[in-house]
Amino acid sequence: MSEAFKSAEALQRAVGQLPAGALATTRRKAAESFSQRGFPTTRQEDWRYTSLARVATIGENWLQSERAQQGEWPAPASEALHDIMAEIDATWIVLANGRVQFDASAAAEDGVSIQRISEHATAAQELRTDSPLEALNAALLHDGIVIRVARDVIARRPIGLLFFDDSDGENSFSQARLLVEAGEDSKLELVELHYSQGAAAQASNVVSQFDLKTNSRICVTRIVDRAATHLHTGKVAVTVGQDAKFRYAGFDLGGALIRNDIEVTLAEPGAAVELNGLYLASGKQHIDNHTRVDHRVGPSTSSEEYRGLLTGESKCVFNGKAIVHAGADGSDAQQANHNMLLSDRAEIDTKPELEIYADEVKCSHGATVGQLDQTALFYLRSRGLDRQTAMRILTRAFATKIVDSAPVAAARDYLGLRTEARLAEIVSGEPE
Amino acid sequence: MMLKIDNLHASIHGNEILKGLSLEVNAGEVHAIMGPNGSGKSTLAQVIAGHEDYEVTAGSVTYKGSNLLDLAPEERAREGVFLGFQYPVEIPGVNNTYLLKAALNAKRKYQGLPEIDAFEFLKRIREKMQMMEMDPSFLNRGVNEGFSGGEKKRNEILQMALLEPELAVLDETDSGLDIDALKVVAAGVNALRSPERAIILVTHYQRLLDYIEPDFVHVLSAGRIIHSGDKTLAHELEARGYDWVREAAGS
Repeated sequence: MSEAFKSAEALQRAVGQLPAGALATTRRKAAESFSQRGFPTTRQEDWRYTSLARVATIGENWLQSERAQQGEWPAPASEALHDIMAEIDATWIVLANGRVQFDASAAAEDGVSIQRISEHATAAQELRTDSPLEALNAALLHDGIVIRVARDVIARRPIGLLFFDDSDGENSFSQARLLVEAGEDSKLELVELHYSQGAAAQASNVVSQFDLKTNSRICVTRIVDRAATHLHTGKVAVTVGQDAKFRYAGFDLGGALIRNDIEVTLAEPGAAVELNGLYLASGKQHIDNHTRVDHRVGPSTSSEEYRGLLTGESKCVFNGKAIVHAGADGSDAQQANHNMLLSDRAEIDTKPELEIYADEVKCSHGATVGQLDQTALFYLRSRGLDRQTAMRILTRAFATKIVDSAPVAAARDYLGLRTEARLAEIVSGEPE
Repeated sequence: MMLKIDNLHASIHGNEILKGLSLEVNAGEVHAIMGPNGSGKSTLAQVIAGHEDYEVTAGSVTYKGSNLLDLAPEERAREGVFLGFQYPVEIPGVNNTYLLKAALNAKRKYQGLPEIDAFEFLKRIREKMQMMEMDPSFLNRGVNEGFSGGEKKRNEILQMALLEPELAVLDETDSGLDIDALKVVAAGVNALRSPERAIILVTHYQRLLDYIEPDFVHVLSAGRIIHSGDKTLAHELEARGYDWVREAAGS
């Protein structure tokens, strides 16, 4: 199925250039693991509709580049970043071109610790390397962030993670990793903002791991809003403990290629997850959301709704898998995927998959693909609204359910504005 | 003259529905257009409002001296044409206040007026809602979302009252209404009667005309107006049906 990685030697050399320390062993093992498996190909079922050929090319070019081979990669500072961070009231951490930038002393809140992975006693051993992309991420990881919320602590301020890439005249391939653990009865809100600029080719490969202990809550609003030519692969891996709840909403707004893999394990009774997503695609954008929820025990609850708006020659994929394992009796798994195609050249491949091996289970799934309601469009125009305004109102009405469900309140205004701006671009038929 | 329709032919998906319809409407007049199902009543309403599925193959529609058919639906609306829909559309996710304000401001912008002040808007809309006996909670609901038939029709008249059109075409506004709702809707329409405004009532039944007294009644059959008269014609149609008109027109 998979193929060995052609540039294994270059990878090994690049890994060797990264700073020594706690991550070194993990990197070396991960590099071996990736070298054996290589990038996923469209011959693999999970990658049937999404080719990573462009990511692989950027990755290989990057590994051959001087910067990678010398381990040097100056992190950019950008005024634009400050403007974005000012929009959302959060404790911000910047991961610029895969380099962690934050002042640990300024970020402190009682009971919430934020550290570099390299400085944490055990985090380097906790990095997932299950899939080839996770292994590659671990292999080339310069450093990452560990967030721990102590038992009984309700974090007052959301934490914002700004994943920023600047392909400043040179192709680049960046890795970023986030590890979050919510202790018993704790609560944390988190915003992930994936942003990039620069004319040269760029691919980012990000892994976020969440571990929710008994009766904890984590809310995540994740916005992928990268430069029009840049690529993104992201993994969100979540383990939800007893009576804990993970609330997530992902927004795919910008980037030539976006592939998100969301994997949630409901590990203990009473575990719950809410996954929502909105993808807005125009031009030749390709956006793929693969989600997988494993109900390991019952009763556990998952509810999921993804919505997509597609125009131009864009192509989107939604694959939502829910597996209710033997013994996970009394579980509830709800899933929906709704798509609106504004162009007859846009394409959506949607596939809900339910596998049930337990009893007394409530499950439902449904997928719809439709067009803009022409009757509604005429109705609005007959009230004096021009065609574009009417289209914007109708597309916003379609998107609003997901935007309003975004669990981190501090990010809602920013998200609303960005979504609105993106819808205006989509409706005007002019990407970016 | 406000509206002059001359020898209008219109088709949808290749089927000709209007086959040489002519009609003249002056400011201040209320016209009722009656006819059996399939005679082209709704088509006429949709063509006046500018629905793009209908193709005008011959004839002309002149509104306030200009060719109405040249205008996009939104331009017609801003020029004072209003269509009260037979089946008002449900638009979940868009609230009524938003639509009402956007519609009013689109017209004001076209007229060179500034956007309406929020306080003034609320004052106006509350006044009109009272007239239509509508609950204030309606403003925060999605446009027509989950409305009963009667609520939807009231909402149409509310929109009309707010937008103050010069030419209102009300398509089967009476259908689906109980007698109480019918009275409220009729009162809303009557409140808008004025020497500057023309109203065309498209209706299948004479019932509505008991409450909104028309100046003229026309019979539409097979895409043409085959007979016109005053309000007594409506009663005659109610009592005798349409066949006698068709026979008279055919002979």
